[in-house]
Amino acid sequence: MSAEVELVGAFADEERLVHCIGQLQAAHTQFRVFSPIPSEHINKAIYKRSSFVRWFVLLGGITGIVSAFVLTIGTSLEWNLVTGGKPIASIPPYMIIAFELMVLFGGISALTSWVLLANLPSFEPLSGYRSRFASDEFGLVVRCAEGEAERFESMLREAGAQEITREAA
Amino acid sequence: MAAAVKDINLDPTFADIDRSVRAILNPPGIAYWLWIAFLVALTLLGAGLWTNQIYNGLQVTGLGDPVMWAVYITNFVFWVGIAHSGTLISAILYLFRTRWRTAVYRAAETMTIFAVATAGLFPVIHLGRPWFFYWLAPYPNERYLQPDFRSPLTWDFFAISTYLTISALFWFTGLVPDVANVREVATGWRKRMYTILALGWQGSDRQWRHFSMAYLLLAGLATPLVLSVHSVVSWDFAMAQLPGWHSTIFAPYFVAGAIFSGVALVLTLLIPMRWIMGIEDLITPWHLDNLAKVVLLTSLIISYSYAVESFVTWYSHDPIEQMTFHMRYFGPWGWMFWVMVACNCVIPLALFSPRIRTSPVPLFIVTIFVNIGMWFERFVIIAGSLATNFEPSQWRFWHPSFTEMGITVGAFAWFLLLFSLFARYMPVISMTELKEGIVWLKQALRQGYADAA
Repeated sequence: MSAEVELVGAFADEERLVHCIGQLQAAHTQFRVFSPIPSEHINKAIYKRSSFVRWFVLLGGITGIVSAFVLTIGTSLEWNLVTGGKPIASIPPYMIIAFELMVLFGGISALTSWVLLANLPSFEPLSGYRSRFASDEFGLVVRCAEGEAERFESMLREAGAQEITREAA
Repeated sequence: MAAAVKDINLDPTFADIDRSVRAILNPPGIAYWLWIAFLVALTLLGAGLWTNQIYNGLQVTGLGDPVMWAVYITNFVFWVGIAHSGTLISAILYLFRTRWRTAVYRAAETMTIFAVATAGLFPVIHLGRPWFFYWLAPYPNERYLQPDFRSPLTWDFFAISTYLTISALFWFTGLVPDVANVREVATGWRKRMYTILALGWQGSDRQWRHFSMAYLLLAGLATPLVLSVHSVVSWDFAMAQLPGWHSTIFAPYFVAGAIFSGVALVLTLLIPMRWIMGIEDLITPWHLDNLAKVVLLTSLIISYSYAVESFVTWYSHDPIEQMTFHMRYFGPWGWMFWVMVACNCVIPLALFSPRIRTSPVPLFIVTIFVNIGMWFERFVIIAGSLATNFEPSQWRFWHPSFTEMGITVGAFAWFLLLFSLFARYMPVISMTELKEGIVWLKQALRQGYADAA
């Protein structure tokens, strides 16, 4: 079995890169993309399903609502504050607190879930990363067997990669 | 205009955007540090006066029955209102995919964070014993302080703390890719700071995938929050029986006023900032024009609110309510009401002129008047209504003390200090979003400079 290598291709625009992603998927090889901007085209080309972040946010929001009602109703029942004619536990005003805590818990879940799902914080550079991929170029890192490197290099070049480098995986 | 066109690149690339924003982060000159020293001095003046107030008690202020809420609570409501435009621009306009937001939203969002941080000081400053500030937190406790979750003041605690947290999370999330960008060219302590703040971001497909979803959902959560927070602040007043406060119009009226004052302050900050930092190629007259249109629209909404409030008072045939409004217009503080009408309803009408909307100096002057007018509006509603309550025998008009005025000035200095420091040490323009909408930036540059020339 031959050793694995990584080919790092730098692209000037995302259209060419998206086209190349399709070819790599057809070849069933592993790859990673670096982009200076959030690209819906790249995201859709690679992932068929949406991020799980949304489920964490839903869970956070529901937890916020439940916590708010537990806090407000529980406190009211434990420390009765009798105000003429009003129920001890008044649901309509408590809904305001439930709304605020739904947003608060949902927002905290959004931040923590995207950070964790994106494997952050991580201060080790990912293989193939170049500083210019944070600025004005798109990067495509293809992992393949050394014997197949020539084929993928020409695939990247034909797709429009401006520069291709080969690294040990 | 022709000279400006010659200097400005009308066809920028990703690298040009990076170069312009990274140039802001170059070490500042002596003028910047003099400005910072001036702001620190004013902030210390405010802090010193507050220390004196803590030592001697609230007697050093002009507060007293019936005007127990005056400048401090005015400042609180004013700064919370200011905070609204940031989330409006960053979240609501994001959901609507508004093209002009990309260049201005980071500055507006930053303003939001610092405005809430400033607003949050005032309920504490207003306390006679500020070391017990944590008693404001409504939690079940062993001290028999029964939190009343039916009280708008309790709702306010939840609303403001949620707003500060969500705005900060949204701001931080948007900052991560840009901080990673400047990390790549920074050196020394700045590189270490940016490396930590960027969390190791490298813009991989996996990172963008989860980032984009979280950003979208945070925008979705922040959007109703913007509307709810100032509604809750307005209920601090509207839920009371006091004439001048007890009105169902308060929630939309306060929200419109908040957006009005907040967007005006965004312009007040952006106009000198784009000139001082040399970023006319990123914040163009097209951006100023669109922000000015928001100011004009919200000015018309609050003018309508003033008219409706007066009409309902007249139509109600309630003599106490009518007397409160009579005193508001023609009483000892009547001049404040007319200053407010002039600044909020009349002067902004100048923004019907496209020429003024795209001319930085006249637009800057209009926004200064709006800031003044909105501060007076808060004061007229809060202190003015308290001064003329149900019993004429209790009427008393508050007189400002040096302490209150000094702390107010100190708060403005504190806000500007935080903003000035941020603008020089962190990316105050979102490079990521400008690049994403580079087509619109080019269009804005052509409209703003080439077509005008």
